Parts: sequence; structure tokens; C-alpha cells
Amino acid sequence: MYKYVFKRIYQLIIVFFLFLVTSYVLFDSIPGNAFQNLLLNPELPPEAYEQVIKLYGLDKPLTERVFLYIGNFFQGDFGYSYKHYPRTPIDLIAERLPRTLMLFAMVNIVAFYTGFLIGKILAWRRGSKSETWITVTSVFSYTIFYPWFALMMLWFFGYKLDWLPIGKFLYPEKWYDAPYDSDVIFVSMIKFTAVVSILQILVYIFTRNIESLNLRRNARFAGFMVLTIASLFYWNSGDLLIQKPYAMDIAYHMILPIFTVTVVAFAGTALLTRTTMMEVMKDDFILTARAKGLSQRRIRDRHAARNALLPVVTSFIFTIVTIIDGSVLTETIFSWPGMGQLILQAVLEEDIPVAMASFSFIGIFALIAHFIADISYAYLDPRIRIQSQG
Amino acid sequence: MNILEVKDLDMSYKTIDGDVEAVKKVSFTVKEGESFGIVGESGCGKTSVAMSLLQLQADNGKITNGEIIFDGKNIVGLSESQLREVRWSGISIVFQGAMNSWNPVVKIGEQIREAMREHYPDKTKEENTKKIIELFDIVGLDSSIIDRFPHELSGGMKQRAVIALALSCDPKLIIADEPTTALDVVIQDQILKEIRKVQEVLGLSLIYISHDIAVIAEMTDNMAVMYAGSIVEMGKTDKVFSNPKHAYTKMLLESTPSIVGPKKKLRSLDGEPPSLINTDSYCSFSYRCPSPDDNCRNRNIEMELTKIDSEHYADKCCINCG
Repeated sequence: MYKYVFKRIYQLIIVFFLFLVTSYVLFDSIPGNAFQNLLLNPELPPEAYEQVIKLYGLDKPLTERVFLYIGNFFQGDFGYSYKHYPRTPIDLIAERLPRTLMLFAMVNIVAFYTGFLIGKILAWRRGSKSETWITVTSVFSYTIFYPWFALMMLWFFGYKLDWLPIGKFLYPEKWYDAPYDSDVIFVSMIKFTAVVSILQILVYIFTRNIESLNLRRNARFAGFMVLTIASLFYWNSGDLLIQKPYAMDIAYHMILPIFTVTVVAFAGTALLTRTTMMEVMKDDFILTARAKGLSQRRIRDRHAARNALLPVVTSFIFTIVTIIDGSVLTETIFSWPGMGQLILQAVLEEDIPVAMASFSFIGIFALIAHFIADISYAYLDPRIRIQSQG
Repeated sequence: MNILEVKDLDMSYKTIDGDVEAVKKVSFTVKEGESFGIVGESGCGKTSVAMSLLQLQADNGKITNGEIIFDGKNIVGLSESQLREVRWSGISIVFQGAMNSWNPVVKIGEQIREAMREHYPDKTKEENTKKIIELFDIVGLDSSIIDRFPHELSGGMKQRAVIALALSCDPKLIIADEPTTALDVVIQDQILKEIRKVQEVLGLSLIYISHDIAVIAEMTDNMAVMYAGSIVEMGKTDKVFSNPKHAYTKMLLESTPSIVGPKKKLRSLDGEPPSLINTDSYCSFSYRCPSPDDNCRNRNIEMELTKIDSEHYADKCCINCG
């Protein structure tokens, strides 16, 4: 196993290197060039212009510049944004990333969980009327034209019913005299969500060894209640009491995007889960499980759904990159100023340092996600573990 | 005392072409501590009988008539939750193809414990593990198998573990549905001995289902021969073998080589088993009967087991054909 992990890490480094070179060359080949952009920026004094060109060797040939860039990259120097001059790409990303991270982590988790749950139930109720209807609805929402649908949702919930805000991630008027920057609030929200999820997983893992099923269910419920109460206390203590109304404001703005993306994205997972699980349900061990006298629910979750998880996790890993890069469409429609918009702007304005830094960041994240996927396959399917040892 | 009494059991599968009557008027009894064999060719309804006993038939299968009295209680028409109690702690089953009886992503020990947890909710993990080790000892497996995944075991080991699984909830009756399919003959022999040993040591009742008449002869006290969904001959295993009355049983015996006695040419049976869709109640074997008389040819006689002596029954029609 360790040998396998090291081999994968070694491969990742090579892939990342190739990724950097390719992205740099591609950005460089965009028509027009960086010098013009630099010159057009009136805020940039001539001496700074000279300095930047010298510093990054922008007058040197492409081959040399690529390696210069990579050298600087690994020293943590990403240059300066051409558009927002004294600010660095890292600075810009640090501002945008928490917004995207919070929204899209929630979106992905909600969409995949709903999709898996619905797919599981669909497969289990094969042939019933409700199965037919939900499948038809899923196919419909899977094939719907997303931008139109998102606008319709905005119109309906934001304008017609006026339940939810139209666009933006906060009410600016509420934030005039706010003691905190929105980034701080985002970071505390992310921290909170991460800690709660980890604790919830720990509760699940520690209760696994309780032999009596009733006791196990009760222990899990107790753990969940303790966590809920603890979070209530947490948000009412110290600094967080002041942050709470602002956090609520952001959460309120998150509802509509999460709901909209879920409605569109759950269907893919649901249909995938349904198909794989129906295949698994034909297997003999499902019959064994029934003969053992297990409850329907346990057979469904433990035996059928557990074996259908692998392709679902694969598709989850492929979409998980959106946690970082956001989705340009969603962010644009809901005016959510996150990473997706940052990248789009940077590419359109040929702000190459920002674009490169964002892309590299996404690249690193994607590679790590795939690495985790490979490892989690081994956990999900023990048969893969054996092959990877050899 | 009878642990299991099956009376006039009918079971059919709904299909687009019509109802497939897989089990027709099957009646037999299994005494406590006895081993009962069911033999017949593929598709004759052996497995359907086994599935009906636990009511695990496919969704389109339905028991249309008859009673299954297990341990003094009719289990036909029980609710799902009542059935769940009977399953495994009352009747457990060793399926054909042990390869696929295990969930590939759950450890063997956990899969056995899971059944025990369902039927003995108050036991601790340690108690359950101890019992599994004891069971593994009986079937000749190492205790380290508990923490193995199914794919790490050989076919024979998996089948032994399946037997341990079947014993885990102290069932009164075990159904072995061709437990040695897909195993080589050496392992087959070992597994058969294991089953025999377990049955004797624990005093269990056993229903052994196979297409292999030699195995049935070795394993069982009483037996039934099935053809096209019905039992055509039934009785003490010795008697059925020494004095087969039904033409089908005779043919089955003549199709198996014997290592003792004079060399005989093996015979095979022409034709195919009849379709089980929309059948009648007349002799189902008449189409393939090697020496039919007029009654048989004209299909005049309804199927019914007649007594030959106190422990031997055979179908009325075919006794006359000879």
C-alpha cells in the first residue's frame, strides 16, 4: 500500500509539472500580449513597469520564461496582478476562495447526498408508480437547460414570491457598519462546518462497534443532539455572537443557489445510483442477506447501496473540483463573486498571473482530489486493495 | 417428531407467457435430525421448493396453495417481520454458488455477526466472535478468516464459511441447495463430509437438494425425486435406490455409472422436460416415458403418489408402465 501511495505521489508531481507548462504556454498564446495590458494600466508607474519586466523576465523568450515561472512558482512567488496592480494573485484568491468554498461545498454535499438517497430508493422500489414518476422527473431536471432554469428560479422565488434574495451574497446595507469583513465571516463559517462534519463522522466511526442495533441508533442520535446543542452554544459565545447575524445573512443568500443547483445536479447521481444498484440487487448475496432475516432497510443500505457506491464516488470526485473553481454559470447568474468569476475576468482581461495562479491552484486541488479518490476506492472496494499491492 | 411438514404446496411465477407452475402439489415431511434429499434435473423446481420454504422466491413468484408447517406453525402467509424471525434462526440455507453468497465489500466475520445481531440482539461482540470461532472450528476453518474479505478466500473456504454462516443462529433445519456446485471433486467430498459431520454433531435436520443422485445416496435418509414441479417418487433412500418404481427414477439411476457390479451401458433420456406453463394434472412424464401403456399415452391418470410399502411412494401412472 505505501509503495502504491508513493508511486501515485510521484506520478502526481510529474502531471502537475506538465499541467503548469501547458497552462503557461496556452495563456501565452492568447492573441494580444501582456505588455500591452501592462502599458494600458494608468495606475502603473513606468519604473514599476520596468521592474516587473526585469523581475519576471517578460522580454525573454517563451522557453526561458516558462522555467522562470515554474521556479518562482515553487518559491511561492506568483507575481502581481496586471489589473489590480499592487495586489498579488494570492491576495485575490484568498479573498474569493472562502466564498466559493462555502457555497459549493454545501452545493456538492447536498446535491450528491440527495441524489444518492433518491437513487437508492428508486432502485429499491423498482416497478412501482412512484419510481416511474420520480425517474421521469429526474430525467427532465437532468436535461433541463441550466441557465434558463436558474433564471426562472430567481424570478419565481426572488421576484414573484419574494421569499429569497435575488443575487449577491449579502445585503450591503446590513454590512455598512459591520465590525468584520465578509471574508472573516466566511472563514468562521467554513471552520464551523468542517469541524461539525468531522465530529459527525467521528461519532459515526466510534459507534460502529456497538453490537446492539438499537443501542447504536440511540448512540448516534445522542451524538447528533450533543453536536447540535454544542453548535448552538458555540454560535452564542464571544466573538461569534457578533458574527452570527452576518453569518445568517450569508446563509440566507446561499439557500437559492444551493436549491437550484441541487435540483439540476441530483438527477445525474440519482440515475447513476439507480442503475448500478439495480445491477447489484441481482447478485446472490442480496438473497443471502434476505435469508439471514435482515431488515429491508439494512439490506438496501448495507448490502445493495454500499456496493453501488463506487461509481457514485467517482462522479463525485470529478465534480468536487467545483468546490474550488466554482461554476462560472452559477456564480454569474447568482452574482456570487467567487473564484469562477475571478478566473473568467482574469482570462478575459489577460491578467495572466492571476489566471495562472488560480489555474494552478485548481490543478493542485484536482490532483489531490483524484489521489484521495484512488485511496478511497481501496477503502470502498477491498478487491482493489489487493491489486494495488502488487 | 416432524420438524417440517409441507402439504400440497403450489408455487407459480407470473410471466408474460402465463403462469409458470414451478411447484405442483408437493408434499413431504422432514423428521427431526433426519436428512432429506430432493433430486431432479435442472429446472424441475428443486430450488423453487427451497425458496418457498423461506418465502424468498423472486418477486413474481407466489405460493398459491398449500401449507408449510415448520415447528408446529404454518409459515405460509406470515408477515415480513414474522418471516424474518423464522429465517436463519429457524430455517437457514446454504445456497448454490458460495462464490456469490458473500457481499464482496464486507468482512466475513462481520457478515456472520450481522445475522447473529439480528436474532440475538443482546449478545456482545465478543460473545458473537467467540461463537464464530467455534463454528469455524467445526467446519475446519482458521479463526483468522473472520477478518478476511470474501475475495481473499478460496472456493472451498468460502463454502465452509457459508456453512458456518448457516449454523450461526442455531437453526433447526438447514437447506443445502446444491452446496457443492462449482467446486472440484476433492473439495466436494470434503464439504459433503463437513455437512454430514455438522448435522450429526448438532443433531440438525437437513434438506439436501442436488441433481447428483450419487450425492443424494450418500447424504440422505429419505429422498424425493422431482420431475416438472412434482414429486414422482419418495421414500427411504435405500428403498428408492434398490427398488425404483418410477420410470424417471430408473432412468436417473441408469444414467449414473456404478463402480460395483457388472459393466452396464449408460442410458440417457430422450426429449426435454415439459414447459411448466399452463400444465394439467395428468402424468407429466408421459411424453418421455420409455414404455408407456395405453393409459399413460392417452393421459388418463391423474398424478398422485401411491403407497408401495410403508416407506416408499411413487406416482400412480408410472408404476403401471413399468
